[in-house]
Amino acid sequence: MSSRDQTDEKLERLVSNLLRDQPLRQAPASLETRVLGVLAARARLPWWRRGIASWPASVRVPVIAGCAVSVPLVWVLSVWLVTQLIAVVRSSMAAPLTTLRQTGHALGSLGTAATDVVQSIPHEWLVGGVIATALLYVVLFALVALGYSLLYPRHQISKVQLT
Amino acid sequence: MRSYQDMVFSTAVRLTANPAQAEDISQEVFLRAYEGFENLRTSPKVGGWLKTVATNLTLNHLTRHRKRWRLFSEVFSDDSREEELESAAAVFDTVLTELETDERRARVERALERLPDHQRIPLVLYHYEEMPYQDIADRLGISLAKVKTDILRGRVAMAGLLTQSGVGAPDEQRQRHPSPTRGTRS
Repeated sequence: MSSRDQTDEKLERLVSNLLRDQPLRQAPASLETRVLGVLAARARLPWWRRGIASWPASVRVPVIAGCAVSVPLVWVLSVWLVTQLIAVVRSSMAAPLTTLRQTGHALGSLGTAATDVVQSIPHEWLVGGVIATALLYVVLFALVALGYSLLYPRHQISKVQLT
Repeated sequence: MRSYQDMVFSTAVRLTANPAQAEDISQEVFLRAYEGFENLRTSPKVGGWLKTVATNLTLNHLTRHRKRWRLFSEVFSDDSREEELESAAAVFDTVLTELETDERRARVERALERLPDHQRIPLVLYHYEEMPYQDIADRLGISLAKVKTDILRGRVAMAGLLTQSGVGAPDEQRQRHPSPTRGTRS
């Protein structure tokens, strides 16, 4: 054991001796009065404001029995209420759901008809249509560019002359 | 209640160093005892039960200020020098051998009250409640090393406080124990 450890032990022993020799601190005289005061105030409370453990047996037993019965009762009532709620929601949503379903069917039929029409068109026609559309766009772009180059500078010149 | 009120109050006041708080805690201890009066009345362990409840309620009360504990628990190291420990031991030796009993008890009580919480609480739990280091660490939620360091520093600081109060107080000892919080890096 090192010298440091020996000093540690000696210090611990001395402090232990010193502290264990200390007498108990005297509790304030007010402590007993305070405790008894709180107990008296609690005793003055009516039984229903105290904990259920201190209720009279004639009240406690029916309350506990009532609680025990109310648990399955509340469960059954909740299930019944949820069932009723689901039935009401279903009946109120029936008409809008039918309309929605019919609209869906109609759109589906239209889609099928459009698919049939597209499938009935020869492949070459479709390619030709795409090429023709592209060409038309090119022509349109060329016409717009030509119009702009012809009309816009003249308009600018006329504005300059006016000022 | 009269048989145990001093013991309950002492347990609380030594941990809190605050007589008003200790009285509140003691009141709560006796109210709880009253709730279990039927069981306690015949039990031979009523004293132990009251002491345990008093200690637990006091520690619950103190650990509400947990941030302070955590702050102190983050920064510690045992940097006490052997000369400091020897000097502290000499002070306690002097207190035990040279002072009159009443004066010694009064000074020790005052020195204990003046220790900072993080040193006084583990010191009281170790020496008065005889709790092992590990139990103190678990109860306070701090490391074992921190508990050991705080208890050691608490002893040295207490020696310093006793020296300041004039116990065998050569000037060099006063310089060695300038403050109870010496060595706390916070």
